[in-house]
Amino acid sequence: MYGVFMECLVALKQFFGVYGDPAGDFKAYLYMTLFFAGVIYIIIRERDIARKLVFGIMPMVVILGFLFPMTRRIYVYRIDPPSGVTYYRILWMIPIYTVMGYAACLIISRIKRDRVKMAVMIAMVIAVALTGKFVYSNAYMKKAENIYHIPQNVIDICDVIAPKDGEPRVRAAFPSELCYFVRQYDTDIMMPFGRQYVEGQWNYSHPVYDAMEKPEVIDAQALLKATREDPDHSCRYIILKESRKIDKDLTTLGLKLVDTVDGYNIYEDLEVK
Amino acid sequence: MLMVIWSVVRLIFWMIVVPFFIGQLFNFILPKERKSVGFTYLLGLLIYLAVFEVMAIPCMLLIKYNAFRYCRWIYGVVSLVMAALGAFRFDRSLFAEKKSGFQNMKLDTKIYFGIYVALVLFQMIQSFRYAPFDGDDAYYVVQSLQAQQADVMSSIDPYLGRSAPLDVRHALAAITMWIAFIAKVSGVHATIVSHVVMPLFIIPLVYFVYYEIGKLLFKDKKELLPIFMIFINLLMIFGNVSISTPATFLLMRSGQGKTVLCGLVLPLIILVFLLMFEDVSKVKEQAAGFKEKAIVAAPWWIMLTLVNILGCACTELGVVLTGGLSALLTLILLIVSKRWTAILGAFASVIPSFIYVAIYFLVK
Repeated sequence: MYGVFMECLVALKQFFGVYGDPAGDFKAYLYMTLFFAGVIYIIIRERDIARKLVFGIMPMVVILGFLFPMTRRIYVYRIDPPSGVTYYRILWMIPIYTVMGYAACLIISRIKRDRVKMAVMIAMVIAVALTGKFVYSNAYMKKAENIYHIPQNVIDICDVIAPKDGEPRVRAAFPSELCYFVRQYDTDIMMPFGRQYVEGQWNYSHPVYDAMEKPEVIDAQALLKATREDPDHSCRYIILKESRKIDKDLTTLGLKLVDTVDGYNIYEDLEVK
Repeated sequence: MLMVIWSVVRLIFWMIVVPFFIGQLFNFILPKERKSVGFTYLLGLLIYLAVFEVMAIPCMLLIKYNAFRYCRWIYGVVSLVMAALGAFRFDRSLFAEKKSGFQNMKLDTKIYFGIYVALVLFQMIQSFRYAPFDGDDAYYVVQSLQAQQADVMSSIDPYLGRSAPLDVRHALAAITMWIAFIAKVSGVHATIVSHVVMPLFIIPLVYFVYYEIGKLLFKDKKELLPIFMIFINLLMIFGNVSISTPATFLLMRSGQGKTVLCGLVLPLIILVFLLMFEDVSKVKEQAAGFKEKAIVAAPWWIMLTLVNILGCACTELGVVLTGGLSALLTLILLIVSKRWTAILGAFASVIPSFIYVAIYFLVK
């Protein structure tokens, strides 16, 4: 039970961005402290019983419930088996931003002098900015390249291989970094492997993925064997980065280099229709 | 260019005009003092989305081929009929100018309001300029696009494109199909709707809900309302402390059902209960019997029921979180109001969630 409790505690801290010790993760600890300070302030200062319960007591009850090992057990076994990776979502029931914003306004409202009020407000804004993390500086925030908000090279490649109106759908093997976006652009393009093979959490295996993505140098014969293996799911196109190492040029094995787009070679397997 | 303008017009029609008129049809349930443009739209949108969930699930489960086509047509017609009836009930007084409030404000309060609006606009512009990567889009966005392009409802593996048995866990959360509906009727690619249109739609809606919460919290100190909203905005913009926070979901995964759940649905439940707390004394004042008291309390329980349905439509976890939060807040309402009938209202509001769970286990 103690182990489960510690897991819950770690999940709670990680929700607030705490991954290391207080010295290393000072900002995140401060952010978490601001939230708890807000909760405690509301419990002490709020006179309206309903608000005190909603923004003071209820967050504490949810957090205690979250830390209670049986809650996690039930969640993992009944709601999100087998690992309960989404357990943190229970914390969404806490109106975090309302609590913090409301507590800040309660403090401001108690200050009589306008200048002090302004100074406290500015200090609070700075505290939010310094302890939080600017969402637009996130590593996954990229400038949009087009109106679809997917990489332009995926669109360019798909435009080359997409079937025309009335033609049957095609299957194409894409490198891992592109396979997330292909079917977000055109669902007439099928793939032998997709996201669930690329990300480790599912532990899926596919011969085309194994031949194309795992080795440092692709064995061309093995790749072709994999893409042609299942007649119902064989790949008409193979897309490889120009710089990708391969032991033999695919054109020497009967494939046609259709085009090179944005640094990716598009090969068509003429044996596959 | 004309095509783009025509698509934008259709988007506005199906995402703003139709829900607003549906709200007009049903806003007689709202108490007079809450009958505003915002609440009418919110009520209409909740009904609009609830009707979709109710129609999409049978289409998905019972129709084998071209399920989305049937769903789209039935839903489109029903929505248009409701909106047309709502248009007949057009209430001009909703739009009556309420200038006095803003004109009487102090200059600094006006400036704070300006900052608040600028921050919301900033986030909307950024949602257009930035394309955050999220692996889950490979599932949800493709589900919408497949419905738009192939008329299927969750019967094709979105990652690979081959036929697949119904993934009931994700399928019952029909918001991806609603996005597909919007994409189809507006003639806009579903990926653009998910990545561009949805953030522009969800972000202001979320702040509207927080604004209404703020109005209730600061009804006696109105000058604090814009300051509260500035804090909420900043907490969102600087809320990327982990990948799990509602702020991260709102600004990085705006088009996903999970975002609608944590960003919109759960704050909406808080709002509905704050409105109920406001009405506690009003209900007590009703000297007459159960029926009269129910008339005062019913609008918010109806609204809560609709919010709970939206929670189910967002993600399967919506059932747990909306139910859990409603239960906690009902307990608080019981303490505050000392009115046992609150349990009846709360129970009625989660009936759709029970039905949802029953369907889940029947189909699984």
